Amino acid sequence: MGVVRSYGDRRALDGFTVSIPAGSVFGLLGPNGSGKTTFVSLLAAMEAPEEGTLRVFGEPPAPRLRARMGTVFQENAQDPLLSAEEYLTLAGRVFGVPGSILKARIPSLLSSFGLGDRRGDAIASLSGGMRRRLDVARALLHGPDLLILDEPTTGVDPEERRALWDRLLGSERGRRTIMLATNDLAEADSVCDQVAFLRAGQVVATGTPAELKRGLRKEAVRVTLNGPVDERIERIRSWPGVGAVTLDGTELHVTVDDAATFVPRLFEHAPGAVRAIAIQAATLEDAYFQHIGSRTARTEVAV
Amino acid sequence: MSALSATVALFQRDIKAVIRSRSQLYSSMFTPLLLLVLLGTGVSEGLDPAKLPGNGNFTAYLVAGSVVMTAVFSSTFSSASYYRDRDSGILRMLLSAPHDPHWILLGKSLAGVAIGAAQALIVLAVAAPFVDFEWQYGIPLGIAVCLAVVLLLNLFLGGVAQAFASRIQTMQGFHLVMNLALFPLLFFSGAFFPVDNLPMWLEILARINPLSYAVDALELATYADSSAAFFGLAIDFVVLGGLAVGVYTLGVARAPKLTFSGK
Repeated sequence: MGVVRSYGDRRALDGFTVSIPAGSVFGLLGPNGSGKTTFVSLLAAMEAPEEGTLRVFGEPPAPRLRARMGTVFQENAQDPLLSAEEYLTLAGRVFGVPGSILKARIPSLLSSFGLGDRRGDAIASLSGGMRRRLDVARALLHGPDLLILDEPTTGVDPEERRALWDRLLGSERGRRTIMLATNDLAEADSVCDQVAFLRAGQVVATGTPAELKRGLRKEAVRVTLNGPVDERIERIRSWPGVGAVTLDGTELHVTVDDAATFVPRLFEHAPGAVRAIAIQAATLEDAYFQHIGSRTARTEVAV
Repeated sequence: MSALSATVALFQRDIKAVIRSRSQLYSSMFTPLLLLVLLGTGVSEGLDPAKLPGNGNFTAYLVAGSVVMTAVFSSTFSSASYYRDRDSGILRMLLSAPHDPHWILLGKSLAGVAIGAAQALIVLAVAAPFVDFEWQYGIPLGIAVCLAVVLLLNLFLGGVAQAFASRIQTMQGFHLVMNLALFPLLFFSGAFFPVDNLPMWLEILARINPLSYAVDALELATYADSSAAFFGLAIDFVVLGGLAVGVYTLGVARAPKLTFSGK
């Protein structure tokens, strides 16, 4: 039976079922409000499920098991008045890391995350990217077996993002389980061993990124339309070889078996409707939108 | 014109925000009115130097009240740090530690008690050389009594503040409700005038006021030359001790319920 957790009338998790292999990087992907943070709260025994069973390290969630977890929250979890070093010292003490170990580990972690020369600076003076890196360093401080990352690279520039993942995955891949809750599908595609798509508190698909992409049409065609969708465009969903069709404003996104066949037919079928076209191999993003529904909450072409 | 429109929009938004914040709306008007009625009556009826117990030195008499007032302010500000920690996010990190959240919040709360007690004792220490205290139990025992009273008082106030913080979502609302709850108690605790010369209804209020027993014990230890016209140390410690343990335990048990989502 899946896990159920409600807040009033709203079911944040509604029959949620997932299995995260030890040592893997597992991506939990879903739109805002799909239940990712609720799942994190249940994992950490901050809340209890109303129905269903949850196991962490083979046991029901309990506060003591948090000693084996490190969590990077969606928003920074810092006191801006503390220095980076003071913050890590506080976190280490709260998580029961002996002082002698902290003395060695804090400079090493700060240096490893590019914060060595800012160790004495107030957190308030650090950039957004630095604060995110500091939070990741804090989550690793007590050597957790499970690292929970809730949108860890929000506000981090691409170069820092790469460096952060290199640090997390470089020498330690397989040593600890990483659960990544994110909306960044490209990031999940590049770092996750397995992913689950979450919608309205339920897992709607799970597997490796390759497995999820395998179920898709081979290519994705992005079409910029000259105007609103009309009947001619709506009809393309019934064409053979066409998969998911989603719309964001005047941007049409279609997964197809063969773009070389689809594109000429589109121009022939709807002359003057198309302003631009881009063709690419199907990505995890395509798989995500196929399962989750639409690219935005605005419009989806009716079948 | 668009600037004026923006001004009007913000004006309307802030008016709506105040109207929707019932605690702010009511308590900001109710507190001054309450003080007008209660303090006005208290001062006119009770503040007669000739009726002061002991040596009649009003400055010396006020010291105990000032100490209690310091504890009231300090406990309010210390407990407001819950909101700062929640908003900065550090509470989230603390609650992810492998302990029952009550232990984490107990540490925060005890820090508030310690700060409140230290500030109150500093006020006493600064005032003592300049006023005419009797120290009827001797200075060492008097100081010990003050220390115990200040600790118990801060435990009680910390519990009250924590219980309110567990229910009130915003820091502004918390400050207003604390002011509304504690300031009338402060004025009718004997902090500014003796409570035994008041009209009966106010005297009854003073006798069921927990702060009265802290003021009473501090007056007995420092200002008074006898126990006449006071409740007595035994009663003070029974009431204060019971309230401190009971309310603080309740406050810690009802510690703000927060999850990782901050709700």
